[in-house]
Amino acid sequence: MSSGDADGPPRDSTGRGDPSNRGSHDGGASSVSDDAPTPRERVRRLGRAALLGAVLAGLAVLALVLSGESVQFASENVFALGALVFGFSMLGWSGSVFVGDGIENVQRHLGGNSNWTETGSRQAMAVLGSVGLGGMVGASVVTVVLASVT
Amino acid sequence: MISKRFVIKRLLLLVPVLFGVATFVFAILHLAPGDPARVIAGQRASEEFVNQIRTELGLNDPIWVQYGRFLLEAVQLDFGESYQIQRGTAITEVLRNRLPVTLEMALYGQLFGILLGIPTGLLAAIKQDSLSDHLTRVGALTGISIPIYWSGPLLILLFAQVLGWLPASGRIASQYSVEMVTGMVTIDTFLSGNFAAFKSAVRHMFLPSLVIGIYSMALISRMMRSSMLEVIRQDYMRTARAKGQGSKITVLKHGFRNALIPVVTIIGIQFGSLLGGAVLTETVFGIGGIGTLLVNAIQVGDYPVVQGTVLTFAFLFTLVNLGVDITYSYLDPRIDQ
Repeated sequence: MSSGDADGPPRDSTGRGDPSNRGSHDGGASSVSDDAPTPRERVRRLGRAALLGAVLAGLAVLALVLSGESVQFASENVFALGALVFGFSMLGWSGSVFVGDGIENVQRHLGGNSNWTETGSRQAMAVLGSVGLGGMVGASVVTVVLASVT
Repeated sequence: MISKRFVIKRLLLLVPVLFGVATFVFAILHLAPGDPARVIAGQRASEEFVNQIRTELGLNDPIWVQYGRFLLEAVQLDFGESYQIQRGTAITEVLRNRLPVTLEMALYGQLFGILLGIPTGLLAAIKQDSLSDHLTRVGALTGISIPIYWSGPLLILLFAQVLGWLPASGRIASQYSVEMVTGMVTIDTFLSGNFAAFKSAVRHMFLPSLVIGIYSMALISRMMRSSMLEVIRQDYMRTARAKGQGSKITVLKHGFRNALIPVVTIIGIQFGSLLGGAVLTETVFGIGGIGTLLVNAIQVGDYPVVQGTVLTFAFLFTLVNLGVDITYSYLDPRIDQ
């Protein structure tokens, strides 16, 4: 007796969630939820985060200089702090893409469901990365300005 | 059949991972206290000499210039030279000697995890709520909970001290000299045809690999059990059984491959734990791999070695996950469509 028609399981129950969400069944047209941000909204959100990072870093450099530290010290530490946030978010973003499915599977099969999703993680990391990158740029710009003034 | 497009997409993901790690390490080392120039010059050196070294290393340049230069050199796999550990030796050379040691241990550990974890998980699922299931679950929970710095010495105590079956440390008995080809002693001794040396290398590698693989085995076993239980309850499995197919064939032919999908995803994730565990395992068993190199480099402030080592760890981790993705898309062909 052939059991061929017993093959073809609904594999969405064993791994990557609903495969249709990945556009794998319908010729690549991935479904987008209604509350997903548009590209313009995304750019605006990231821009705002970058601006926030730049302002915070600029203020931090100024505060350190005014508290008696050298411009070089202030610049190096604030830039490094921005780079730390940026590096962490880059790692978090790509890590979410790389092993997001695995983490979701671990949550499903071993309990400890924290509602963590790959998409949510990527969005959060992108915002965090913008803050970090803005901080790096902000620290550099303020340092150049301070160096030309003093 | 794996599509090229899928593999290329995953390969491109290596770029942000390594870029992120490089940036992260650069930032950490710049925020950490201590002066690399002072490390090189020594504590008694004059300020002038230290400043001269600082200029030579480019540490007096603006930090964004240093960052850009670091990234450019990293792209060319040039991490500079070791300040302290092997003063003046290129980092790539330092890593080339140490990497195979850790890699060998991690690979055998992973192999232990897969070869023992999958069958025990499968058995526990098929014989749900039986004694073997309970034993497997308790074993897995214990394996996940036991830290390496505790299980390592205990296993040394049992197998090396009490029973005397296995050596407590090192990679091969001192009477054997091995011509290094791959840097992995078990493979090199096997290639040289020296069976006695090969046996010695395997005996030396057994305990560290077991210790590092226990956690992996426990996690894989638990995932396999949970995944298999879910698959067993699917309609298509019931259909197969209703058509008169034996339960063993049903499980192995229709269920096993589908149950493997979530298990495969975590094999890649916990390879990172294996590499992290390598630091402790190498210390416990006195094996000079990349893990101990990293710890030593942090202690003496050898920044280029730290940067090179961490980037190598990241590269290995992403490479393993790429392999996992390819396996994954083989198990579930819809993924790379």
